[in-house]
Amino acid sequence: MYLRMQGIHLRSLLEYEADFWIMVIATVLMQIVNLIFLQALFAKVPSINGWGFWPVVAMFALVAIAEGVGSLMFEGMWKLADLINRGELDYLLVRPFPVWLQVSSNGVGINGASNIITGTIMLIAALTHIDIAWSPGLALVGVLLLISAIVIKVSINLATNAVSFWSASPTPLFAMAVHQVGDLARFPLSVYPLALKLALGIVVPFAFVSFFPIGVITGKVSPLLSILVPVVAVYCAVVARQTFRRGLRRYESAGN
Amino acid sequence: MNPYLALARAQARSVLAYRGNFALGLGGFLFQLVALLAVWRVVLSNGPIGSFDWPQMRSYLLVAFASGVIVGMGADYRMASRIVQGDVALDIVKPVDYQRARFAEAFGGVWIEVAVVLLVGGVTLVLFGGMAWPGWSETMLFLCSMLLLFPLKFLVVYMSGLACFWTQHYVGIQWARVAVVNLFSGALIPLAYLPSWLAAAAKWSPFAGLTSTPGLILVGQAPGREGFVLVAVQLFWVVTMWLAARGLWNKAMARLTVNGG
Repeated sequence: MYLRMQGIHLRSLLEYEADFWIMVIATVLMQIVNLIFLQALFAKVPSINGWGFWPVVAMFALVAIAEGVGSLMFEGMWKLADLINRGELDYLLVRPFPVWLQVSSNGVGINGASNIITGTIMLIAALTHIDIAWSPGLALVGVLLLISAIVIKVSINLATNAVSFWSASPTPLFAMAVHQVGDLARFPLSVYPLALKLALGIVVPFAFVSFFPIGVITGKVSPLLSILVPVVAVYCAVVARQTFRRGLRRYESAGN
Repeated sequence: MNPYLALARAQARSVLAYRGNFALGLGGFLFQLVALLAVWRVVLSNGPIGSFDWPQMRSYLLVAFASGVIVGMGADYRMASRIVQGDVALDIVKPVDYQRARFAEAFGGVWIEVAVVLLVGGVTLVLFGGMAWPGWSETMLFLCSMLLLFPLKFLVVYMSGLACFWTQHYVGIQWARVAVVNLFSGALIPLAYLPSWLAAAAKWSPFAGLTSTPGLILVGQAPGREGFVLVAVQLFWVVTMWLAARGLWNKAMARLTVNGG
């Protein structure tokens, strides 16, 4: 059901071929510019607080992948505010399918696909250049961390967009603002002052999307965090689910 | 009243009506500033790298922030959505020049952008300590360069908006524009740090005038004649792009179709 809805949106997207290619080119271009920036920066300094070129590339890659999955599979969340504002959520309520999945599958961001692909290439390139003592156990942890990172990013998107149930604004300003904070998490957490460390580590745990997973894999932070990252992921998912449910219970429809 | 003046005044008043979108547009530039400040503070804590030390980099990043905010707060979306929605048909029948009218609107909205730049600049300077101003003549040249930044940024934004005559959505074009401008203007990293071939290409491109030229003059890295040459290049691109934008507009008019009635 979910896949069928996404398929429909994908096909309607391909109708405007020029737009499709501009989106793909634009996202790839953004990643290339990021890489040129990092390359130029690390040509002058060997490391930032002990973080070299490739670990930071890996962090940029993880953010790109997590955002990519969010755009490709759950783009519809960003339209929730508009649905509530115009009272169109009613149609979804009467259908026998989880509301949050219906909302999520209400659109496809093709930029997600190119972000996932470029992000994966960057991640693989980075991991092969970093000296890591791979073992089956560590590989398993790596996969678990990757999944956790994606869950955290998507959960934050869902929870912040669910705030629209209370704000009644037609654009999800709060969610967009929090989304922008996520860009800070592409750099090692240690460069930031304490207030920002707390914000990214606890208030909106973007540090668990990029910094801690890469830190665990490269052995820069305590391996204990490999347990904490999935725990944070579960926590974020539960909070997102609860926020969405409470919002839905509060929903009273709009208009006539 | 002069119609362009009227448009500028109307826009100057309406910016406050879209405070939410304004704050949101600001967020992107603000977080880039915070991230880059944090990274360079650590990197430059052991002394200068290349030609920049920490106080110079601070000033330079503030110029980069200003160049992002000026004509960057929704002005581009307003122009693009007029074209995508077809409202442009109404603009064409009005007895004003389209390009000059949009320029007047951008000018009307610039006061709040300048206010935000001054505020953020002031807070940054208080947090990290003051900045070293260059001599009198260089300060004047810096101000000239900042004045030229406004029409230059307008033209880059305006021309990318015109691309909507050929596409249905603006987002992709905007992302591509931001990526190119970030790199070639030196807003992400000073051009001196780039590979020499890329730095040379960027230096003479129209984008250099968007951060690199005023930034280098402010931190005293374009002394004497060099600064004048850079500002002259900036002026050259403003004139050239103004004419090129006219050409692009004429081309777009030739293929315009507006649906509905």
